[in-house]
Amino acid sequence: MKNFHQSYQNQIKRSVGERVFDGFNIIFMILMSVVMLYPFWYILIYSFNKGEDAARGGIWFWPRAFTTANYAYVLSYPDLHTAALVTVARCLAGPLLSVAICLMAAFALSKRFLPGRRAIIFFLMGPMFIGGTVVSNYIVIAKMHLLNNFLVYILPGAFGYFTAVIMRSFIDGLPNDLQDSAMLDGAGYWTVFWRIIVPLTKPCIAAFLFFSVVSNWLDLQANLLYVTKRSLYTLQYIMYMVISSTEANNIINVNSTNAGAIITQLNQSHSIPTPQVVQMAIMVVVTFPILLVYPFFQKYFVKGMLTGAVKE
Amino acid sequence: MGRKVRSPRLKFANIQVLYLFLAPALLLTLIFGYLPMFSNIIAFMDYKITNPMFGLASPFVGFKWFSFLKEGWFYEIAGRTVLYSFMTLLFGFPASLILALLFNELRNQVFKKVVQTISYVPNFVSWVTTAGLVYLFLSVDSTGLVNNIAQSVFHLPRQSFMQNPNAFLPILIVTNLWKNVGWGTILYMAALSTIDEQIYEAAEVDGAGRWAKLVHITLPGLIPTFCILLIFALGGLFSVNFDQVFNLQNSVIRQDVMTINLYTYYNGIVNGNYPISTAVGLFQGVVSFILIYSVNKVTRRLADTGIF
Repeated sequence: MKNFHQSYQNQIKRSVGERVFDGFNIIFMILMSVVMLYPFWYILIYSFNKGEDAARGGIWFWPRAFTTANYAYVLSYPDLHTAALVTVARCLAGPLLSVAICLMAAFALSKRFLPGRRAIIFFLMGPMFIGGTVVSNYIVIAKMHLLNNFLVYILPGAFGYFTAVIMRSFIDGLPNDLQDSAMLDGAGYWTVFWRIIVPLTKPCIAAFLFFSVVSNWLDLQANLLYVTKRSLYTLQYIMYMVISSTEANNIINVNSTNAGAIITQLNQSHSIPTPQVVQMAIMVVVTFPILLVYPFFQKYFVKGMLTGAVKE
Repeated sequence: MGRKVRSPRLKFANIQVLYLFLAPALLLTLIFGYLPMFSNIIAFMDYKITNPMFGLASPFVGFKWFSFLKEGWFYEIAGRTVLYSFMTLLFGFPASLILALLFNELRNQVFKKVVQTISYVPNFVSWVTTAGLVYLFLSVDSTGLVNNIAQSVFHLPRQSFMQNPNAFLPILIVTNLWKNVGWGTILYMAALSTIDEQIYEAAEVDGAGRWAKLVHITLPGLIPTFCILLIFALGGLFSVNFDQVFNLQNSVIRQDVMTINLYTYYNGIVNGNYPISTAVGLFQGVVSFILIYSVNKVTRRLADTGIF
């Protein structure tokens, strides 16, 4: 009621200048939305267009010569399959391990009576100030036998000091009584952690899991720096090769017979895609999964961003 | 005795378990934090990876590899690094603040929510995708939107932007805006939501208009957030976003857009010149640390906010 009254008042008060401003603001927001979203629409329609036709240009809103052949080529590219497996594997294993390690550390650090707590905090914080360089990181990774090793996607980033600090402040915000009474009843720290801390920090865990899944999906550097074995390539790296080298030609050539067969089965007129439409199809395959799930989890992302900021 | 008198003493007795909780974090920090930190010592060595002790038994050569500090090429790439990151900051930093204020002025809450969500979308694609989009929209042939517009509206000749080193900085600025402007508003929006509604009402009673409320209430409420973000941003002034620069450059313009981060990658990892690249990287790390430390001191004195 109060809100209604207020907005009613505001409406009466609005001057001509304010209305003009509001109008421009809305127009600006619509333009911004177009700028943010149109590129994705563009690669989508492009990837469903026949290659030679698309090269003539002038496709802006709708495919002109519709085909799914580009996807038949891209999806029968064997490296894409292994890369998808590797990427999904790291997007599952990486976040779970990372959240587990950070939450365990956060739980221990939330116990202010832990002897040596300050020293441990200093130790964990140290590398944030002067860490390794690209080269010294590379040398350590090489000496740990992590080059061309799946674990290189998971281990180096598994513990994050900031993440642990945010989780600790979240745990600090929980009522202490629960833990105390559980311990009086004979529960050990391990039980308290599983039965009390994990269930109560679920929103926090969810936010970090989503964050971590996304950053694992988007990461290019681990692959670029430390992996040269084809069977361990990630989707981002495949896309990088397709965009910035002639890898697209390989997809077309290697798969010509393979995809050709599929297309004949589908009774479509066989058109060999151009490198450009292959690039578009790959970009759609690698980029869209995250874009499609993101709106549903958006509140977790924003919450995750904010638990860190507001709790300071 | 034993089982019943659990509380304080036994709590203390099994406290060692807590160190097990910390063990993975400590181990990972040691391996991936401290080992690389100490491995920086190869900047002072004639390092050969095949030498004994992981190559750390190589002979010390003092500051031999730091002779780049006397050479022109280093100041060229260092200057370019600062220029690039300063310019992207100059455009990107206020943009998020302004966008947050514009969001804040929207009256329809559903519309506001939708445009906010849309503005975050580019944050969820990688720089590889972004670079792919840039190549596509700036393409020379008839599929390139930017060239099409430049030709038909402004009658400019078609040009190959991606092979023109002068176009690199504008491309960095625009892609950075596109990708980060929306996401950058989140912290401002959070700060805005903490401003007490009553202050606005009181101001209205005193006859304050929209502009007066913006200048006297909203903006001051955002200053602490602004300062903290600025500290982080200025601390990164001596480095560029590697993913961004790496994906947008190509072999044609590489030498003309070389920045410190690209140099340490190409010279260190690709060409295997470990000691000199470590020296350059170490110098960069030290300068960045000094930057963030001094900016923190200044803002602490001015606005009473800091990060440590």
